[in-house]
Amino acid sequence: MLLEVRDLHVEFRTRDGVAKAVNGVDYGVDEGETLAVLGESGSGKSVTAQAIMGILDMPPGRITGGEILFKGQDLLRLKEEERRKFRGAEMAMIFQDALSSLNPVLSVGDQLGEMFVVHRGMSRKDARARAVELMDRVRIPAAKERVRDYPHQFSGGMRQRIMIAMALALEPALIIADEPTTALDVTVQAQVMALLAELRRELNMGLILITHDLGVVADVADRIAVMYAGRIVESAPVHDIYKAPAHPYTRGLLDSIPRLDQKGQELYAIKGLPPNLMNIPPGCAFNPRCPMARDVCRTDAPPLYDVIPSDGTRVSACHFWTECLHG
Amino acid sequence: MPEQPLESEGVIAGTGTGGAMDLATTEAETPAKRPPPAFGGGPGGGTESTGKPRSLWSDAWRDLRRNPVFIVSGLIILFLIVISLWPSAIASGSPLDCDLAKSQQGSAPGHPFGYDGQGCDVYTRTVYGARTSVAVGVCAMLGVAILGSVLGALAGFFGGPWDSILSRITDIFFAIPVILGGLVLLSVVTSNSIWPVIGFMVLLGWPQISRIARGSVITAKQNDYVQAARALGASNSRMLLRHITPNAVAPVIVVATIALGTYIALEATLSYLGVGLKPPSVSWGIDISAASPYIRNAPHALLWPSGALAITVLAFIMLGDAVRDALDPKLR
Repeated sequence: MLLEVRDLHVEFRTRDGVAKAVNGVDYGVDEGETLAVLGESGSGKSVTAQAIMGILDMPPGRITGGEILFKGQDLLRLKEEERRKFRGAEMAMIFQDALSSLNPVLSVGDQLGEMFVVHRGMSRKDARARAVELMDRVRIPAAKERVRDYPHQFSGGMRQRIMIAMALALEPALIIADEPTTALDVTVQAQVMALLAELRRELNMGLILITHDLGVVADVADRIAVMYAGRIVESAPVHDIYKAPAHPYTRGLLDSIPRLDQKGQELYAIKGLPPNLMNIPPGCAFNPRCPMARDVCRTDAPPLYDVIPSDGTRVSACHFWTECLHG
Repeated sequence: MPEQPLESEGVIAGTGTGGAMDLATTEAETPAKRPPPAFGGGPGGGTESTGKPRSLWSDAWRDLRRNPVFIVSGLIILFLIVISLWPSAIASGSPLDCDLAKSQQGSAPGHPFGYDGQGCDVYTRTVYGARTSVAVGVCAMLGVAILGSVLGALAGFFGGPWDSILSRITDIFFAIPVILGGLVLLSVVTSNSIWPVIGFMVLLGWPQISRIARGSVITAKQNDYVQAARALGASNSRMLLRHITPNAVAPVIVVATIALGTYIALEATLSYLGVGLKPPSVSWGIDISAASPYIRNAPHALLWPSGALAITVLAFIMLGDAVRDALDPKLR
């Protein structure tokens, strides 16, 4: 396993109380594998990613338990200075909004080149040459002329390509992409995802794709981990999950995708709202919204059950996963 | 990193669970499957580049050059700087060359502004007074800007206890009334140089800049690109110097420019009150102070140094306004 998150707990101490954002997340990603992390806003998917990268704001954030093993080493035991060396070189992150993720007062060439200056101690001139190479690689037209341009002079898709180029600059082993295409047009989204998937394959990187777009996931992911209220509720190879979800929340998500063959019909929506993280319901966190909820769901938090075929590739946090799988 | 260009090969497989997804992927496949050259020539390509790259600063400079307020105030300030460096270029006499016999006389050939109560040439003294005013203003502004922005930036960036301590100290300094503080602190100083006055201004002025620097660093710190830089391995000092400072410095520049004008006025005020500079220093404040009792008999002796002071302060405030307009994209 390239990266393994084990029983990670993160909470935020705010004036109003303690918000438990991540409550025992387990997931892992292998070299060359794409793991999609799905979930609504506030499900803890981004917080988990920030904890992996070590860029969580602490305080107010606090990691209260768990391990993050990267190439077998627990990142949480490292000093900040040691962790910083991992960032960019071993693991990198792509953010949602490329315009605000690029410094408006530095040219893109400077920002790309900075990766080489910071981590490799290159001269500015060499770094700039590498920046042009990178821009070519993410297929920015006329890279040589555009390397001196500023972020606002690029279109949304081009900016996201530059972010990808920055993240890939040092060929890290792991890339975390936090909703990399949310801010883009549908056609550009597909181009950017295709580029990301292609580079991932070529460099044999592990990719954690955080998204709430099920369409994107189906095309590029190998595995899916569905998060709810700071926990993994279902984790499975991508085709299994689409064929037959083993958790009612996953089922709800899949049912709420608009479909062309249901034109005119009312779109399914999971009723209710995601739980308040300061006051997560006892038992299964999904029980107030779950169509299958019974008494046991309101009292006992479900463990991660091994789902058939019990080879460890598929888990579900639902007491009634069999029912869900077959119903 | 392999050198050969990548071939785009339509990675999207389109497993397709829903109709909408199929639609999205079909739409996207066409452009994604095009070979790279077509990509480059496509309409989405290099069309956004318009002329030479522009940054916030070059944009601001372009705006400033067209702004009449900037041109007028800039020329006045340029003139002031020139005459403070070389006062003898336009005033041949010495400001300390006085003849009591000519006390309070009006303008005479070669002495266009007339004479003050001590029989000194008002024109020469006004010209030489600019040097003191500009020196005090610039030095105080630099001191305030450096001390204030460093402390403010560190407090804003690191936050936590440092921020709390610094903010309370700032509050304490804000509570000190400037004139009263000047009367108390400077009245014990016997030195006749400009440094105690500058030191006093820095001591009382830095909290203003530090608050602004702190605020704009906190704003800049929350930008995604700072988080992104961090995620890509930038150190604290690199984030602060390369990513935050350039994006937080504009308000500091604006306030410091306007403050420069007020420091010049404050020097005059303190000198007027007798706790700033003292004769034989030459300063507008000293001259205004000396001329004020004779405002009925010799108004010219008061008018010229006060006019020079007013124009100077106004020029710096106008410059500050122009710079603010240029640096604030929201006002464009």
